[in-house]
Amino acid sequence: MMDSLYIAWRYVTWNRGKSLILIASVTLIAFLPLALQLLLDESEQQLRSRATDTPLLLGAKGSALDLVMNSLYFDDSMPPRIGLDASEQVDASELAYAIPLYMRFRARGFPIVGTSLDYFDFRSLRIGEGRMMTLLGESVIGADVASKLGIGPGDSLVSSPDNLFDIAGVYPLKMKVAGVMERSHGPDDAAVFVDTRTAWIIEGLGHGHQDLARTGDSSVILQKDDDSVTANAKLMQYAEITADNIDSFHFHGDSSIYPLTALIVQANDDKAAALLRGRYQDHDSYQVVRPVDVVDGLLENIFRIKTVIDGVIVIVGLATLLTMVLVFILSLRIRQDEMDTIFRMGCSRMTMARLLLAEIVIIVAASALLCAILLTLVSANSASLVRYLLLS
Amino acid sequence: MYLKSTRYPVRFISFVTIIIGMLSSPCAMAAGSVSEKLVVYSVNYPLAYFARRIGGEHVDVHLPVPAGEDPAFWMPDSDTITAYQQADLVLLNGAGYAKWVDRVSLPGRRRVNTSASFRDAYIPVEQSVTHQHGPGGDHSHAGTAFTTWLDFSLAAQHAQSINAAMSRARPAMADVFEANYQKLARDLEKLDREMQRVAGQYADRPMLASHPVYQYLARRYKLNIESVTWEPDVMPDPDEWRMLSRKLQAFPADVMLWERQPLPETRE
Repeated sequence: MMDSLYIAWRYVTWNRGKSLILIASVTLIAFLPLALQLLLDESEQQLRSRATDTPLLLGAKGSALDLVMNSLYFDDSMPPRIGLDASEQVDASELAYAIPLYMRFRARGFPIVGTSLDYFDFRSLRIGEGRMMTLLGESVIGADVASKLGIGPGDSLVSSPDNLFDIAGVYPLKMKVAGVMERSHGPDDAAVFVDTRTAWIIEGLGHGHQDLARTGDSSVILQKDDDSVTANAKLMQYAEITADNIDSFHFHGDSSIYPLTALIVQANDDKAAALLRGRYQDHDSYQVVRPVDVVDGLLENIFRIKTVIDGVIVIVGLATLLTMVLVFILSLRIRQDEMDTIFRMGCSRMTMARLLLAEIVIIVAASALLCAILLTLVSANSASLVRYLLLS
Repeated sequence: MYLKSTRYPVRFISFVTIIIGMLSSPCAMAAGSVSEKLVVYSVNYPLAYFARRIGGEHVDVHLPVPAGEDPAFWMPDSDTITAYQQADLVLLNGAGYAKWVDRVSLPGRRRVNTSASFRDAYIPVEQSVTHQHGPGGDHSHAGTAFTTWLDFSLAAQHAQSINAAMSRARPAMADVFEANYQKLARDLEKLDREMQRVAGQYADRPMLASHPVYQYLARRYKLNIESVTWEPDVMPDPDEWRMLSRKLQAFPADVMLWERQPLPETRE
């Protein structure tokens, strides 16, 4: 058998072009469904684990999928907003505790997530470098943000303008980076976290400016009497919150309607969760969803698509196998003289069959090896590949 | 000696001891976590006092305001804010007291607004200038009076909130906290009655206050108080004396409340 393998090996290496094409075809046919399965398993694991860790989400009525994808994976989908009073209502129910989320703005391509410090406890996120944000205007960034932008504690990040062509829109805010989170291998690694009030300042609901009642610069005053002062457009609003100007920052309007995109609702127990879901079942403005249900629905659709892809792969695989058979039959015809010579030298038909079988074994073995290497690479990078291909 | 002479070898006894030790260690750890002191950070002295009275030896109460600083207008540094962030409970006064609270990040779950239950009883502060800029329209930075504890009935409600928050944080100690709170509530009730008796002697009698911080005291005990803004350790300037004279013509007060002893020259 070793002799047959050696002669087959010599043949395969002599006809490199043909052998490489065959190896590539077999490799791809084996690799594609296996790699797809690996990535789907990883995406299922990633999607489900985060969804399972998040018991309930409260948001505005609308697409539950947008709400979950935005709140859990910080994707670009923008669910309708809810007011801060929704959070107060949940807390007042004494059935659960609400963690606010407000995700609308970005800084250098990364999502700015407005939340409270409870979020970090909830997700078991720890500071790796620097410290937790303490003052308004400070941020803590995920490990990917730090490594990709090359920034760390003490540096600054500027929020991106809402709309490049809307000159009267949201002012960019320069945010100090207070700390960098330890890598969590999840969407939190690629997020910029700020206090919800900092996000509202970016939104323009809060701002800081010189004290109009005490300013010596009369050119900023349009009108002044005992009860009111009206400033003109010259009044500069601070674009960065510092220790010197933080006292001047204030919010306007009814705080109960300050916007949020979602609430992570931590119910006291299963009974409280059921009661809370019942209360919001027919609510006019809000919905309470179990992220794991929404993600399971999404995965069901993904697996339905996978069945179609599997079918296509089976047909392509069959076509490749038939092509391989054809290649071997044709190569036998081309090698007719070679076969005759071997036959005249005294080799039996069985020996010739063994030679052909050895060639097939070598090609399949080479394909299996290549496929294993590629699958190992995919497997090693499946988490980041899934985040890049499916969840980004 | 006994072990050697009986049917149980020492190795077996050691094995049983280790197993019992392993089984009891989680209980010991659990007991340890329950008896661990509750770390409480407060924004002012009254709340810190109530927390100490209610928690006793089971709480570690901190009020990191440096001596000489007014807790209502103090701004903590980053290290102090971090300490507040890491506390088991952060006791806030509410009613706009300690403005720094609105400018820092504190964990919502461990933050307790001890006056939330009587939010409707806050006294709005008048005389604030409105201003206008940008598209937001008129607005003012008016707030509410924040020295809520000067009304002892409200002080008892602060204490009740602290008791509830501590009991939620340490359910195993709830009975102890409740008993301590009841004692404190009785003391505050006694003070309230005493204050009503004393204030009854000054009913409708015009009184001046060195600072506009006695709104709750005046409302609860029916005192007729008007305020200036004088510091006890600073001699008022001639303008302030003139303004006082004008005020006294319309409001003939012969008693003035100070948060501490004024300078002898001022008193004379």
